[in-house]
Amino acid sequence: MAGEGDSEPGKSFKLLGFLDVKNVPCARESVLYGSLGSLVMGLGHFLATSRVRRSCDVAVGGFICTMLGYWFYCRYNLAQQRIRQRMLKEGMKNRILFEGSYLDPEKEQTGSERSDS
Amino acid sequence: MANHSQLGFQDASSPIMEELVEFHDHALMVALAICSLVLYLLTLMLTEKLSSSTVDAQEIELVWTILPAIVLIMLALPSLQILYMMDEINEPSLTMKAIGHQWYWSYEYTDFKDLTFDSYMTPTADLPLGHLRLLEVDHRVVVPMESPVRVIVTADDVLHSWAVPSLGVKTDAIPGRLNQTSFTASRPGIFYGQCSEICGANHSFMPIVVESVPLANFESWSSLLSS
Repeated sequence: MAGEGDSEPGKSFKLLGFLDVKNVPCARESVLYGSLGSLVMGLGHFLATSRVRRSCDVAVGGFICTMLGYWFYCRYNLAQQRIRQRMLKEGMKNRILFEGSYLDPEKEQTGSERSDS
Repeated sequence: MANHSQLGFQDASSPIMEELVEFHDHALMVALAICSLVLYLLTLMLTEKLSSSTVDAQEIELVWTILPAIVLIMLALPSLQILYMMDEINEPSLTMKAIGHQWYWSYEYTDFKDLTFDSYMTPTADLPLGHLRLLEVDHRVVVPMESPVRVIVTADDVLHSWAVPSLGVKTDAIPGRLNQTSFTASRPGIFYGQCSEICGANHSFMPIVVESVPLANFESWSSLLSS
């Protein structure tokens, strides 16, 4: 995503000239798993049916489906991780800010425990 | 700022820009899948003999109706999500006005008393060593980090456009009209932009520099300038 890779040779690799698989998260794994899926499905179909043309179709379809499938899975996990990071960062900031004050959530909990007893 | 020969986005400095970059990557992945399919079909067609014996093609017509619909849904859903996210009402902590002139920007912090200044490009001859040519200004726009900032953009003479790519902001400056945008700088730093609407001879020489600083630094800067 950063533009710095474009100016340094060897630092970015653009598939079909536009998708930077090195710098875009999940892109490299998607393409690699897609290629593997394509190979497995195409070869498997050919071994089962001995039909070259249809096996090529299955291989291309397998590539697209596997690549997009892994892409969605990986990006979903990445989004969840980012949300967790933001919550953690916010929680750490609030803890530092409110520690010892009346807004400290830990102080409220111990206060309620004392009132219960 | 952008490096030389840079084609991709600059590093995101606001949550909206982060979302936009992620959507862009998603759109490119979908484009890669489509291009792969089209390339394969093209190769197939080029190696086939031409035939006019097709009578009906119910199955292929079903496929090429449903598949593009699925692709459009895959693109539209995140796009609409970001669109609505950009229009959320977020109660800005600070409001400032950016006014385009030929050929400089002026800024007004109306939340503070008498805080207005002009922002001219630093001429190349006066540029200190290591500074960026055609991007540096004499007075930067200082904003507090991690605080929503509302910017009201207008112009004094002709059309201009206030744009900072790193923050994901581009708003037209139209004489007689107030356009509103907002952003939240998620990290401290200096973010560069340039006028994005042709406005005359020096259209390329009226840059925008936004400096995001901690709140304490912003307060001391604003009190210094107000006095």
